[in-house]
Amino acid sequence: MVVLAMRNLFRNTRRTLITVLAITFGLAMVHLTITLQTGSYADLIRTGVSSMAGHVVVQAKGYQEEKDGDLVLTRTAEISQRLAKAFPEGTIAPRLVLGGLITSPRGSVGAAVSGIDGAAEAKLQEIDEHVVQGTWLTGDARGIVIGRDMADALQVGFGDKVVYMGQHGGATEVSSRLFRVIGIFRMGNADLDGFVAFVDLPAAQEAFGQPDVANQVTVHLPDPNRSPAAAAEARTLLADIDGIEVLDWKQALPELFALIEVDKTSGDVMLFLLGAIVAMGALNTVLMAALERTREFGVMLALGLRPQQLARLILTEGLLLGLMGAGLGLVVGTALSWPLVHYGLDYSAYMGDTYETAGVVLSSVIKGRFNPLRMTTYTIAATFMTAAAAIYPAVQVARLQPVEAMRHT
Amino acid sequence: MSIVHVSDLHREYQQGAVTVKALRGVDLTIEPGEFTALMGPSGSGKTTLLNMIGALDRPTSGKLLVDGKDLASLSSSQLSDLRLHRLGFIFQSYNLIPVLSALENAEFVLQLQGMARDERRKRVRETLAQVGLAGMEDRRPGELSGGQQQRVAVARAIAGKPALVLADEPTANLDSATAQGLIELMEKLNHEHGITFLFATHDPRVMEAAHRVVRMVDGKVAEDLRK
Ligand SMILES: Nc1ncnc2c1ncn2[C@@H]1O[C@H](COP(=O)(O)OP(=O)(O)OP(=O)(O)O)[C@@H](O)[C@H]1O
Ligand SMILES: [Mg+2]
Repeated sequence: MVVLAMRNLFRNTRRTLITVLAITFGLAMVHLTITLQTGSYADLIRTGVSSMAGHVVVQAKGYQEEKDGDLVLTRTAEISQRLAKAFPEGTIAPRLVLGGLITSPRGSVGAAVSGIDGAAEAKLQEIDEHVVQGTWLTGDARGIVIGRDMADALQVGFGDKVVYMGQHGGATEVSSRLFRVIGIFRMGNADLDGFVAFVDLPAAQEAFGQPDVANQVTVHLPDPNRSPAAAAEARTLLADIDGIEVLDWKQALPELFALIEVDKTSGDVMLFLLGAIVAMGALNTVLMAALERTREFGVMLALGLRPQQLARLILTEGLLLGLMGAGLGLVVGTALSWPLVHYGLDYSAYMGDTYETAGVVLSSVIKGRFNPLRMTTYTIAATFMTAAAAIYPAVQVARLQPVEAMRHT
Repeated sequence: MSIVHVSDLHREYQQGAVTVKALRGVDLTIEPGEFTALMGPSGSGKTTLLNMIGALDRPTSGKLLVDGKDLASLSSSQLSDLRLHRLGFIFQSYNLIPVLSALENAEFVLQLQGMARDERRKRVRETLAQVGLAGMEDRRPGELSGGQQQRVAVARAIAGKPALVLADEPTANLDSATAQGLIELMEKLNHEHGITFLFATHDPRVMEAAHRVVRMVDGKVAEDLRK
């Protein structure tokens, strides 16, 4: 039966090959898309989580909803120590973001000043590698690292003095603090380069006017999938501290994950449509091949072949067609994806060195990543879609009456 | 027991508003070992009658016994089985499966019957040798002449050792000498192996060879001549 089906397929070698290649090409496109998607999602999540959240995020109760900079943790050091002990493999990064004004003798800009642990963030983010002048944070309580555009707006350079001014913690007075520019970075992103500055956490706490505070203490784990379990652990660990909330990565960045889900779904719809088009091609091939053999089917039925057996023959032909196309598609798709995984796709000519999605600044060299599970799923789905395309012709031939079929020319 | 017993058989076709009466009360009995030719003008109902006897189509009315079974009482899959195990078919032309070799075509029926591979191959080789095709087992129909193709069809029809072989104008597309050869082959199979044949034909050579000639006119048996 399989032999007969195979030979039938290669009766019209050209038509079969065209169909197989259509399936191959379609599926290869699918594999490419999946590889790029998987890579860019992984990138987006990794960068987004490490710069804007963590795998475990501890923050003042209500901060998640209100994003009010005055909602702070008051026992930052103790929380950090406990978390460091509980997650020795992780990196602990406390963060305190101040919104205010940075001024120089020649200008002023609104800025978000991040008070952070410079050494910890250097492990998590790439920003320290983008310092183009001076150094990254050194633990100098007066040191500030600002973006290239901000430096231009303030007309300051390395070593120059700037003043931060802001109103925090319900204070009635504006507090100010003097800093010296110890580093200038360039990320290639206007928001980061123009409006973000980094200082050491103690300096930010002083500017805030209260010691030992932070908006968040974040834990970054080597295995991101442990996030929910680790968050649960941390919740128990910190149960005795009032006024805090402990989130896992998805709770901390719901918009980011929602965006990825939406993107994935719309991608799936596209891929499904592509699959449907290819399946139509397969249907055409199998149907044509069946119709032009009506006479022959009549003879086979007359000889005593059962209609179900005839239907099975057609289904086998569809399945073989699908197997050939999907198998080749997997091979070709993997081969084409290989360079994407190893070298990435360089969009810098169009987008500059970085681009922004959902508030996350990403490198414009997008690296693919193989996703064996989805690739297998789509390969199997393509096979079955092609086989399913043979159902209609199979039902048709099963209805043939031998005498009428043989009169068919 | 007769292999075929037909009495007062009618078959009408509805063609739009017109009713075509292809068979109008046929009576016919075929005994084992007979070599019978059905003749008659075009449209007289020969093919229709063969299709009825071959369980390929159902009569409008009348009695139809094949191999002792009343076909009216059989389901369509029982009819399939009857064809598979008890009947052999040879059609006018183009009735081989083009992607299968001569051997594979001839063994098709045996395969459907579920015969084991080794036994099947042995039987088919013998049968192909009987019809004079030894050495051509691996050729595809496209690589065989018309006469050779019909011999493969004969081999396929008789390989399953049927009670009756039905042949609808088996020589119509063959040249004279080839047709003669095919007729002699079937005569030999009838003579030596006792295989029962029923032909529908216009070919005078077949009528010449036949032991019994049944002439049909207007959907009825007009003459039944035994030599
Ligand atoms: N499926 C059908 N639908 C309608 N009419 C049919 C059908 N099959 C046969 N007929 C009609 O029945 C009559 C008998 O046809 P049949 O094919 O049995 O004749 P035949 O003796 O085999 O003729 P020929 O020598 O040309 O093969 C013809 O009038 C034919 O047109
Ligand atoms: Mg006829």
